[in-house]
Amino acid sequence: MVALARKTLIYEWRRFLPAILAVGFAGLLQLLQLALVLGIFGSTSLYITGSSADVWVGYPGTQSVGSGRTIDPNVEARILMDPAVLRVEPYIWVDGDWRGAKETGGVSVFVSGIDPSANGLMFSKALAPALRARLAEPDAIVVDRSAVEQLGISIGQTATINGHQVHVVGIGSGLRALGGVNVLCSLDTARRLDTDTEDNGPTYLVARIRQPNQANAVAQRLRGDKSFGPYTAWSAGDFARLSVLYWLFDTGAGAGVLFLAGIVFLVGAVITSQTLIAAVNGSVREYATLNALGVGVAALRRVVLEQAFWVGALGLLGASVLGVLLLVLARSQDVPVVLNVPAALACIILVMGLAAVSGLAAMRSLRRVDPATLLR
Amino acid sequence: MSTATADHPSQTPALRAEGVCKAFVSGKQRTQVLDRLDLSIEAAELTLISGPSGCGKSTLLAVLSGLQKVDDGRVFALGSELGQLDLHALERFRLQHTGFVFQGFNLFPALSALEQVELPLSHMGLSREEARRRARASLEEVGLAHRMLLRPAELSGGEKQRVAIARALAKEPELLFADEPTSALDAANGQIIIDILHRIATTHGTTVLCVSHDPRLVAHADRVLAMEDGRILSDRRNHAPVVDSHGISS
Repeated sequence: MVALARKTLIYEWRRFLPAILAVGFAGLLQLLQLALVLGIFGSTSLYITGSSADVWVGYPGTQSVGSGRTIDPNVEARILMDPAVLRVEPYIWVDGDWRGAKETGGVSVFVSGIDPSANGLMFSKALAPALRARLAEPDAIVVDRSAVEQLGISIGQTATINGHQVHVVGIGSGLRALGGVNVLCSLDTARRLDTDTEDNGPTYLVARIRQPNQANAVAQRLRGDKSFGPYTAWSAGDFARLSVLYWLFDTGAGAGVLFLAGIVFLVGAVITSQTLIAAVNGSVREYATLNALGVGVAALRRVVLEQAFWVGALGLLGASVLGVLLLVLARSQDVPVVLNVPAALACIILVMGLAAVSGLAAMRSLRRVDPATLLR
Repeated sequence: MSTATADHPSQTPALRAEGVCKAFVSGKQRTQVLDRLDLSIEAAELTLISGPSGCGKSTLLAVLSGLQKVDDGRVFALGSELGQLDLHALERFRLQHTGFVFQGFNLFPALSALEQVELPLSHMGLSREEARRRARASLEEVGLAHRMLLRPAELSGGEKQRVAIARALAKEPELLFADEPTSALDAANGQIIIDILHRIATTHGTTVLCVSHDPRLVAHADRVLAMEDGRILSDRRNHAPVVDSHGISS
């Protein structure tokens, strides 16, 4: 079979370039948007994804990590009784008001009180062991490097959180928070920083289990008991998803993403279909001649669809190369971007869907192919 | 003389029109292009339909080749009544039995001469090797053996038309329709095209039906039909090559 679609695409590349660019930029826009949203909102689940706990126990109805309530400290004993559980540690979340060495105005900080021992679960993936060890010192804190300026502080300096003095013992990275600044300290320090007298237990209990793939089953099992007051359990994956979705939809960002995806699709499809239609119209006499020779309209439609496919594939290729470069650039500048397999697949589906819709639109102009018009 | 029947002794005609009527409506104006026309075209000859512009000769070609439906009457091609075939069956019929050469060459700019000829063959279900072999043979037959790998932009007008003929010829059709095949060409190239068309009729036994107002063609046709106002005025057979191409006399 003569590769008419591909040969025409290569020979008349100038004609198809606008379509390839439209598809490519639509894909790129979508890719970067998704990566940014996932990066920004993914930081709301950093507490979970940056830790090695498999099961989280917290107050029932909690919608995101940052909106937990304290639970009874005795729940810890209940969790440890489960044969699947290897280790349990408390995690204390305190909302704080920061006053730094420099005048920064009010900065709200999210204090994470964690177990600073070397085998601690919280932030085990995000916090270097040396920094973690330093947190054992009373009133020691670690902050993210992206927040140094915002807090107006550097290593060794002191500040106050909720009126209590703390001092910075280290600067971490990858600890960026959304809507505030993460401050890491030991459990003891966190208890001192908590000014709410009604809080008398941890915000969460995090557990490591023997078989991490059983997290859902273990979480479900731990949920049933009510003897220690209200608490519930989630697998780490479920709780991370809950947090991200809460932020996506609470802030309206989810609707924004969908809206922009719709616009990008529409604009891309209009440009691409117009280019493909022009290409079909430019070859309408040749197509009509083939039809006179008995080549069916269905076969001609396949040529147009194949052209649309290649336009989509080339656009996708360009978007991927440019996208990876831009994502690497963004990472180097501490811009939170994350790309996972479902997001990449969503982009591929959007781009190829756009090309397919444009191809179908262009196919309609094949109706003008009538060999009788060639007889003049 | 509105009814044309060949005075040539022959078997079943390759093409037959019976009482064919065709009109075009433009706004309130209705133009009768073909008016109760009867016609038989014999196999293995080059038949030329000539006549002034607007006499209906292109419409007759469209109707006889199955590109257009008739308003009234019947058209038989190779024994099949074209009016009875649906769109798909007509496409199939054209794929298997007919070749076309148009005034415009209508070649794909991106394809080489060889690929232009191969393209319809690949849709006929021929193997790649067979398609390639036939395409090469056809291009050689029209004298383009050394220009096979060139694209249309690198070919002259006459060469492009020869590629178009090769494209039709490679299908090995029983019926070959040509519409004004020489009118975009100079005298020398026009002559080459006429010779090729005539040779196709005699050596391949193909029924070649050519529509043209080019007087140079008349001398090379086996049979010349003169048309005017949707009717056939004269039907003449050339038993020997005729030099004078003006004035049709029966």
